[in-house]
Amino acid sequence: MVVLYGLGSILIAFMIGILFVGIARKVRARVHWRYGPPLYQPLIDIVKLFHQQSVSHGFVFDFGIFFSLTGAIVTLFFIPIGNIVPLRESGGLLVVLYLMLIAPFGIALSSVEAANPNASIGISRKFILALGYEIPFLLIILSVMTYYGTISFAEIVEMQRESTWGIISMPITGIAFLLILPAMMGLKPFDQIGAPQEISSGPEVEYGGIYLAMSRIQHIFLVFINIALFVSLFLGGGPEPLTFFLKMLPVFFIVLIVSTVYPRFRIEQAFRFCVRWPTILAFLGLLFVVWR
Amino acid sequence: MNKKNLIEELKLTFADIRVNEDKNDTIKIHAKKEQVKTILLYLKNYGYDHLALVSCVDWINKKEFELIYILTSYNDNNETYKETGDIYLKTKISRDKSEVETVIGVFENAEPYEREIHELFGINFRGHPRLIPLFLEREYDVPPFRKDFDTRKYVEDFFNSIPVIPEEKA
Amino acid sequence: MDREQVVKALKDSGKWGHKYSLWAVYFCTGCGIIEIPPSITSRWDAERFGVIPVATPRQANLFLITGYVSVKTLRAIIRTYEQMGEPKYTVGFGSCPINGGMYWDSYNTIKKLDKYIPIDGWIAGCMPRPEAVFVAVTHLWTLIDKGMANAYKKYRKQYKYYRKNQEMALGKLEWPPLYPIK
Repeated sequence: MVVLYGLGSILIAFMIGILFVGIARKVRARVHWRYGPPLYQPLIDIVKLFHQQSVSHGFVFDFGIFFSLTGAIVTLFFIPIGNIVPLRESGGLLVVLYLMLIAPFGIALSSVEAANPNASIGISRKFILALGYEIPFLLIILSVMTYYGTISFAEIVEMQRESTWGIISMPITGIAFLLILPAMMGLKPFDQIGAPQEISSGPEVEYGGIYLAMSRIQHIFLVFINIALFVSLFLGGGPEPLTFFLKMLPVFFIVLIVSTVYPRFRIEQAFRFCVRWPTILAFLGLLFVVWR
Repeated sequence: MNKKNLIEELKLTFADIRVNEDKNDTIKIHAKKEQVKTILLYLKNYGYDHLALVSCVDWINKKEFELIYILTSYNDNNETYKETGDIYLKTKISRDKSEVETVIGVFENAEPYEREIHELFGINFRGHPRLIPLFLEREYDVPPFRKDFDTRKYVEDFFNSIPVIPEEKA
Repeated sequence: MDREQVVKALKDSGKWGHKYSLWAVYFCTGCGIIEIPPSITSRWDAERFGVIPVATPRQANLFLITGYVSVKTLRAIIRTYEQMGEPKYTVGFGSCPINGGMYWDSYNTIKKLDKYIPIDGWIAGCMPRPEAVFVAVTHLWTLIDKGMANAYKKYRKQYKYYRKNQEMALGKLEWPPLYPIK
């Protein structure tokens, strides 16, 4: 049962993730007044990358990217998609909190082995940004756990179905989470870690072929995981995958429109933003929940 | 008014130079190669503090090179510069043994220009710290910008002599 | 375009992937690079063909050599070409890589680029318009379909002749041979 749910979870996340990245490219192109690639273009990219020759830099290089992809898949097993939760009774919110840091750690391992200064600059920026958005993220998770009194995802979804959605009972926390969603997904304006124009694609500079395919798949999973977190905790993630997907679409559009219009922040501006307004709002949300 | 003053003072201070204005009213100073540094220092103290270009012309029929120094001023309040515009300083050196003193002591930014002229014309600048190639990758018998360098023959000898890759045998 | 023909894509997914996802390395070779930004931006959109510029040769499989190639640039072009992963395609843009172009009697430019790295196709013009980029890409699709875009295989087979030509033009090369020379 767990294995079946696990495979189903991976398949659904992959398909929805590819659709989201395709929609992102198409919407960005239309905002720029051009046509853009078809919706399944990320699939063509990944298929091409599997047939391309790749150059390895050593054992730690291979291990790092594989480790990061595994971390993303394992985090996926704890997130409920509708009623499909492969690992229902183990951990929940607390496990997701520290499993989400395995992915950048894996990329850091392979950047160290690649020995390219652009990769080192990119991955140090990623860790600074992760420090920035983890502070409000911890406060948000703490307020959610205090309000519902549980750490299991399934119970949180049940309680939201009985009363109201999370975003109506904890509005300030919901807004704080929306503010840091682009930072967690690595979209503009928090795009500095893998910017082709500035640091030659950051940590991805030495990837080619199958390593780049794994890096792209890991990025697709992270996009899916972050939006699924928001929908599960604040929008009462639905009884079956179809309502879940329909609830993910507006959230994704909000993040996408912000990302299409804004230019890129510098890393100190991004860090300052993450520590200032989302932290204040998350802290206010925590006080609001505690004094209820 | 300032322009005539400048020309008068130049003729008074230095013997043996010729100052004339061409049809665009640009001042051109013709001097000997030993006087170049002193004239440049004088003009720099007068207010022309930017050396814009050092260039070279190959007069093959007269068997000499002509070095040209172009001076401008960065200062907006320089009244003389508003009247005169750029000033050209020209010297002639012989073509067979071409050596001249470097002007890096007066204008430090003459270093890449003199390096380029050394590489492409073959003129030696005494006292230049780095006379190594700037653009070219190979040694040439005759420096390429001289007028007796035959470009078509060089292309024929060097580039067209590299063979085409043969087709592979099936 | 036969991007939507699912049966053809499933039969040979490698060819389908290589055709509709050509990533061009954004190395601005010569004066012709001025024609590439218009073909990427809104007016002549290259992303609908699947062509996007990438910043590093490790991620790329298309190399557009636009404009003249001086001897110093040839050093950088060879190093970039050898870092790309196979299969890789090169297109010579403009008249200068074909036979020297405007600089046919210059002392410092390469006259025929075909002697130093293998080229799949040429586009003539000085400079070709941005629509010529799309002509090159669609012609490359036809060649990949028929299996005739084999320049990288020629580099592997005749590497000893390419290396000798490169050493004649550039003098001593600082990098070791890419394939073992017997």
